[in-house]
Amino acid sequence: MRTIDQALNEKLNGLYFGNRLILPFNVEILKIIIDDDIIVDFSSKKKGAQYNSRKDFTEIYFYDYKNLQDYVSEYENIKLVVVDDVKDLIDIKNHKKILVRLKENHIAEVEEAPEDIVFVE
Amino acid sequence: MKKTFLFVGLFIINCENLFAQVSTHQALNQAAEHMLPNPIMILPFVLLLAMIATGPLFYKHFWEKNYPAVSSVLGLVTVFYYLIFLNDYHSLLHSLSEYLSFIALLSSLFIVSGGILIKVDKKSTPLLNSIILFIGAIVSNLIGTTGASMLLIRPFLKLNQERIKPYQIIFFIFIVSNVGGALTPIGDPPLFLGFLRGIDFFWFIQHIWYIWLPAVLLIISIFYVYDSRNQVPETNKSYSGKIEFKGLKNIIYLLIILVSVFIDPAVMSWVPSLAPFPFGLREIIMFSVAYISFNRADKKILQSNEFDFEPIKEVAFLFIGIFATMIPALQLISHEANVLGEKINLSAFYWATGSLSAVLDNAPTYLNFLSAELGKFGLDLNIKVDVHTFQTTHYLYLQAISVAAVFFGAMTYIGNGPNFMVKSISERAGIKMPSFFEYIYKYSIPILLPVFTIIWLIFYFGRG
Repeated sequence: MRTIDQALNEKLNGLYFGNRLILPFNVEILKIIIDDDIIVDFSSKKKGAQYNSRKDFTEIYFYDYKNLQDYVSEYENIKLVVVDDVKDLIDIKNHKKILVRLKENHIAEVEEAPEDIVFVE
Repeated sequence: MKKTFLFVGLFIINCENLFAQVSTHQALNQAAEHMLPNPIMILPFVLLLAMIATGPLFYKHFWEKNYPAVSSVLGLVTVFYYLIFLNDYHSLLHSLSEYLSFIALLSSLFIVSGGILIKVDKKSTPLLNSIILFIGAIVSNLIGTTGASMLLIRPFLKLNQERIKPYQIIFFIFIVSNVGGALTPIGDPPLFLGFLRGIDFFWFIQHIWYIWLPAVLLIISIFYVYDSRNQVPETNKSYSGKIEFKGLKNIIYLLIILVSVFIDPAVMSWVPSLAPFPFGLREIIMFSVAYISFNRADKKILQSNEFDFEPIKEVAFLFIGIFATMIPALQLISHEANVLGEKINLSAFYWATGSLSAVLDNAPTYLNFLSAELGKFGLDLNIKVDVHTFQTTHYLYLQAISVAAVFFGAMTYIGNGPNFMVKSISERAGIKMPSFFEYIYKYSIPILLPVFTIIWLIFYFGRG
């Protein structure tokens, strides 16, 4: 199980292909903000997004964004509120705010949200 | 009030009948310049405005992908009609020149404001929030409601992060994105279009400040009451009390844009005219400043502001369609106002401009009603001397539609460009905003409508 801190410390990047985003850690996702959509319902098979937590990564499929790069520009972020799969999801202290930036060659840069960015959980 | 509905109804629904009667005298005058367009040519304008209103709400993804094509095609329909059937390219060139001035100002303010970052590390209180809203109202007259909204919404959200609620953002839209910008042509697009048509730059502040000030203070007082009820438990979080500005060199760029507004051959005789080009020195300066500002911007600031060209790209594409398709509407409404004449009074103009500005974009709405007012008094919007005469002899009429166009833009998300932008930035920050209809029935009808009715009762009821 790769945790968020491990991935951030090792400066691991994620990947993206079309509507699929792969994060380099194993997490539960509570909230995703992409473009001006706020996604909190991951139960639908048609709208919003669906995600699967694997051993060392988490993959997200966005239903309404066929090509992520068309919607998230150079200075914009995909924002996520996540919790390490091994930690207690109920404890708010375990919630982490993550930013994902889409770069060239399918690279998705991942970082913890800095103070400057306005990000309300 | 009945007259208002009658007028609005006539304007939207019954254009054919409305424009059927043409007085001989006016017909001769018009024919001397160019033929009047067929009323059916209003359809592309109505269709475009209807799609702008409904697209983001009911068919978002189609609209996001296709609005440039929709706007361009509808605009081209009007362009071909004028070129082929009316053989009138003067109206097209005039509209193109106005569009370039409009988009030069808006895009330069948008880009330059995006390179400034304000960090406020203070505890959020109702008083501090109220002060920020009042400062925002003033700033919106200096850098436009678009620029002020871009500049202030993030620090406002950040400041209130611990107790953020949608009403705080709604009041920000009311004050900073709309009502605040009623004092200068830079403040709000409708007034800038009026300025381009010949209204003096300082006419607005001279004739609107005594309505602006009580309106702004009243809305902020209501906000204060709401905000005082929003208490959060005390936390141990400490605040440095600092307010930090980054990207201050952009203030110089903003000043250059501000000064360049006046660089117009009609305002300063020494300014060279670049005719027959549909732009002037002013537009070249504005676009150059925007280009330099963006290329020299601190990338970290752009990242912190999550700068994106999409909002201004949207305005640029939609407005090129609006400017083209509204040409027939402007010409016909100006012409028809001569016929309706005395039937349209001051109250009708106030409510008609206001109600249409609430649901359509307020900039073209303003021009339509300015055109109608001038037509009522036998003047022509396309003649600057006529506009100048109008602003002094019938100032109350001009004041009523200026106030209504700017203020009522706050009634819905689609009333003014920055409204949707602020909504979008807030949602990108993770705040669930009210739906289109919730915004209207929960906030704008109970809060703004009484304020606007009071303004009407005090300043326009029974006059004109």
